[in-house]
Amino acid sequence: MIALKFILTDGSQKVVEATEGHSLMEVAIAQAVPGIIAECGGSMACVTCLVRFDPFMAERLGAPDHMEDEMLDFAAAERTENSRLSCQIKVCSWKHGATITVPATQI
Amino acid sequence: MSDDRQETAVASCPFQSIGREYAAFEHEPMYAFFSRVRPLAPIFYSDEIGYWVVTRRVDALTALRDHERFSAEIATQPVQPWPQQITGYLKQRNFTNEAVQVACDPPRHTRIRQIAARFLNVRQFSLYEEQFRQLVNSYLDRIEGQDEADLVDAIFYEFPAQVVFLLLGEDGFDPRKIKQWGDLRLNMIWGKPSDAELEAGARDLADFWDYTVNLVEERKKKPGNDYPSFLLEKRAGDDSVLTENEIKSLVFGLLLAGHETTTNAAGNITLELLRHPKQWRRIVADPALIPNAVEEGLRFASSVVTWRRTAKEDVIVAGQEIPKGSKILIALGSANRDESHFDEPEEFDVERDNPRDHLSFGNGTHACLGAPLARLELRILLEELTRRFPNMTLVPDQEIEWTKTISFRGPDKLRVRLHG
Ligand code: HEM
Repeated sequence: MIALKFILTDGSQKVVEATEGHSLMEVAIAQAVPGIIAECGGSMACVTCLVRFDPFMAERLGAPDHMEDEMLDFAAAERTENSRLSCQIKVCSWKHGATITVPATQI
Repeated sequence: MSDDRQETAVASCPFQSIGREYAAFEHEPMYAFFSRVRPLAPIFYSDEIGYWVVTRRVDALTALRDHERFSAEIATQPVQPWPQQITGYLKQRNFTNEAVQVACDPPRHTRIRQIAARFLNVRQFSLYEEQFRQLVNSYLDRIEGQDEADLVDAIFYEFPAQVVFLLLGEDGFDPRKIKQWGDLRLNMIWGKPSDAELEAGARDLADFWDYTVNLVEERKKKPGNDYPSFLLEKRAGDDSVLTENEIKSLVFGLLLAGHETTTNAAGNITLELLRHPKQWRRIVADPALIPNAVEEGLRFASSVVTWRRTAKEDVIVAGQEIPKGSKILIALGSANRDESHFDEPEEFDVERDNPRDHLSFGNGTHACLGAPLARLELRILLEELTRRFPNMTLVPDQEIEWTKTISFRGPDKLRVRLHG
């Protein structure tokens, strides 16, 4: 089991258990993590599933691909160095323990 | 696909009688029809239009998201094919509009969407907020002193068109042209136009295309801070990025996508709020509820009630085998009231907790690029209407006439008493 810690907009935390293979967005939607909207269902069209990773995890994830990189600029939330689209992140064992911050707004 | 395969599938459809009851072009009985049918039939075949109709949210989502197996190319084709003389006329007028967004599939769609989304996005739209608010107030100033007004005529029809023209870099566009170009366009594609309507519509379409072509040519000479100039800059003369005809088609498509959809949404939402005066009073008392009220309005009374796909291969939809090439009508309006997703779906409640799960903007790779813009426009409209006319009521006993197309739904008129 892979545990992921979400920091919500009100500062509270929510730890969810995820299984390998799904995207982080799918996990967040399935477990009703508030603040992840994912209007387009994961086709990288809407930029409403933005999250920020802790610096350590962000580094391990590496850089987003070209299209995600472009789309990140158009999120409602300010892009930071560690921002990613959760629909593009696959859950896998080494992501266990990651801290993921939900932005104040997605829309 | 061979015709007898289609026949067999249709003959084995268990919900044939339901299909006969479906009045695809009528909007008055639509929601009642779907609420009765949805629990019985997740899908049925409509002979009237020759489409499989999907009624539940989960199946609607599956079809919308699966662009490998469901093509969007049909999205803007006429429901009733145009006669030769209309296509001939358009050709002769050099009407070279091509499918660039909502009616084309990946990889073409992906290439173009990636570019368009760099302008059509929530960030860019937010820059216009003050301008939109001023525009709304200039319309409302004109009716301030009246007792009664038709809100569609007074503001809802023109405002979303003026918004699109602002994106195109055109300030204060001639409202008579908006009306003339808009009148027949949707009916030509999604309705049952008469021959005379088709002829007049084709002329307007070609005139609007000419306008688009000129606009793009002008921006080439004198670029501004607008959508066509942005697209030209991205193109930088490279056809593999975008061709000039694709740019013209994108500009042409923007008004089609962004005008009546939003006009009708404004009409539908305001109508429901005034039909449920308690809900209206709630947003008057607490304008912070307005964004949620907009979502609930889009859910409860979407302005796009159906959207189309075709099966690219033999598929199973909602348990029904459907042969390659079949046409599918996804009933977004029905999905939005699916009892398995929304509690008390037939209730209109501005404080509902999940209205945003509606499918009024579609879903998947074609999800509406203008959604944040439509939301912004609708929010500003309600903010200004509630602020300036908090006691507004409907003129009693008015018959609501709906637009007569299979996809677009909105009131033709909305007569209100502005000061109660
Ligand atoms: C309440 C108003 C609106 C509604 C209900 C609406 C609805 C839709 C729907 C159902 C689709 C197709 C989605 C799919 O195939 O999955 C769509 C696509 C689209 N809409 Fe909207 N729309 C609205 C307003 C706007 C506005 C204001 C604009 C822009 C000015 C706009 C631009 C577009 C574009 C460009 C697409 C094509 C996206 C693509 O294929 O990649 N829409 N819209």
